[in-house]
Amino acid sequence: MIEKLMKTQLFAWVDRRTGAEAIIKSQLTEYPAPKNLNYMWNFGSLALLMLVLQIVTGIFLVMYYKPSAEATFGGFTVAFDSVERIMRDINFGWLIRYMHAVGASMFFLVVYLHMGRGMYYGSFKEPRELLWIIGVVILLIMQGAAFFGYLLPWGQMSFWGATVITNLFGAIPVLGDFVTQLLVGGFAIGDPTLNRFFSLHYLFPLLLVAIVGGHVHALHVVHSNNPDGIDLHKPEEMIPFHPYYTIKDAFGVAFFLTIYAYIVFFNPQFAGYFIEVDNYVPANNLSTPAHIAPVWYLTPWYTILRSFESKLIGVLAMGGSLAILFLLPFLCKSAVRSARFRPVYQIMVIMFFIDVIILGYCGHSAPTPTLKIVGQLSTAYYFLFFVALPFLPKFEKTKPVPEGI
Amino acid sequence: MKLTNTLLAISAIAVMGFSTSAMASGGGAQLKHAEIDVTNQEQLRRGLTVFTDVCMGCHSAKYITYRGLMSYPEIGLTREAVDELRGDRSLMSGMISDMSVEDATESYGKYPPDLSLIVPGRRGGADYIYSLMTGFEHDPDGKVPDGNYNAFYPGNRIAMPDPLSWLEHDASETEELEQQAHDVSAFLAFIADPHQNERRAIGCWVVGFLLLLTLVLWRLKVEVWKDVKH
Repeated sequence: MIEKLMKTQLFAWVDRRTGAEAIIKSQLTEYPAPKNLNYMWNFGSLALLMLVLQIVTGIFLVMYYKPSAEATFGGFTVAFDSVERIMRDINFGWLIRYMHAVGASMFFLVVYLHMGRGMYYGSFKEPRELLWIIGVVILLIMQGAAFFGYLLPWGQMSFWGATVITNLFGAIPVLGDFVTQLLVGGFAIGDPTLNRFFSLHYLFPLLLVAIVGGHVHALHVVHSNNPDGIDLHKPEEMIPFHPYYTIKDAFGVAFFLTIYAYIVFFNPQFAGYFIEVDNYVPANNLSTPAHIAPVWYLTPWYTILRSFESKLIGVLAMGGSLAILFLLPFLCKSAVRSARFRPVYQIMVIMFFIDVIILGYCGHSAPTPTLKIVGQLSTAYYFLFFVALPFLPKFEKTKPVPEGI
Repeated sequence: MKLTNTLLAISAIAVMGFSTSAMASGGGAQLKHAEIDVTNQEQLRRGLTVFTDVCMGCHSAKYITYRGLMSYPEIGLTREAVDELRGDRSLMSGMISDMSVEDATESYGKYPPDLSLIVPGRRGGADYIYSLMTGFEHDPDGKVPDGNYNAFYPGNRIAMPDPLSWLEHDASETEELEQQAHDVSAFLAFIADPHQNERRAIGCWVVGFLLLLTLVLWRLKVEVWKDVKH
């Protein structure tokens, strides 16, 4: 189909002015991709899909959403009322808003699986270090965007979640109070906070688009890794991205959209995981919810924060647990990429994935003494994993790596 | 094989969500099951009557307008019936209680929460509402006065005085009161998300279409890939 299109006069006209043919050839029809990529390689395109869906639904939500904490009848606010207006009175507003709210969770789900793929198959290793680092920047901006967005409905969990997180910045020595007040726009979460969070919630996705562009560009320079984690040189090991991976990604997109649509249409709150119960209660600065927890995709880092008695050390550990992801390509020194041929790393990285899930569970649950110890041990393993990586090549006997695929 | 693993992982995460949905709330007692059907017009109308006759003495549901009672087909009241309900209030007005903040604070110590979003806003949802309505008991320790002790309310001491007069009812009334509690739970579950039935109906078509699309694209993928040896 593309070949037919490229033979038309119109295309020739465009091509003379843009070099479109060269771009299509180098990036799609002649872009070499390993032929042995498994379905774990589908999550990149799914993440891109979610980014686009979040931006499109977000643009429509902003047409009706009003960022104001001004009180209205019954203990509600203008912001909360406008969200309910979207849910009840705007044609298909409920669909757009559920797509956006569920979309945030689905976006994180595919991004975490995408990152897990990268860690398991060593996709962060030479020459893809920068590709991984750009990816970590994307994760941090996503977390920021999600945090800002969560304040907007102005429910109880919006309010108290933002209170807890902004207070963390108070732990920074000397500058703490200044930074907190700058972020909050006052001494407590209020209307100025809502307005600046709304502004930033609109800005961050635009940054994401630019950085995701950089991520895809970097990928197209170094090309995809593969499940065996070996460098591929022979032409018969490669297939053009189009049509092979366009159709495979399209299948992945349809499969994913089925699950996404099922949740949006039949279980949008997802038992309080995607839209928390307390966020149906309007924000009230005089009544603290019994248990404050972030949404599931931020809970692993919340557990790391809570694992330390000292607030400053907790904040540093939480920041460090994200910052250490930047160092992963330099900590992991083994010449073999894929965990398939690294028996010790394979066990360690699978334990790391389980560890992050346990951290998430601990952060989501109400704190108990047992969970606290479990959380602390999981935190310890989280860091131990990264600290142990440089020493691994000294004793790990890697399996023989295949010559080709 | 690898695909199966991926799918299993995704479905495991999905199941994780459902399995905790039956979590009990903080009142201690195991919640009772509310028999509700948010597509049943008769039950929703009976629930509306309980709401206007009992709940609205103190509580509002500001996000439900009188016009909504006509325009949502699940309730579908006639203009005459709505006019009777609303009195001199505007059609576009929410269902606002006549009780003032001052009166409520003086009588109960707090302003009764708006009930528009009470079902998704409480752990246990409609089951919690039903249990609360039928959970007024004598305090086993004798500390909390009758009418303020509820087996299902977190901390058991509730400011709301026994709305259905459950505590002192005769055995002959049990069935009727339980039905009222079921009905009002159904009504509250409906008004929390008045497009929910439309959403589920459309959802069947959307998910059905996407399943078909997935199937077609899967076969297309297999067809495109059939020459690739790996």
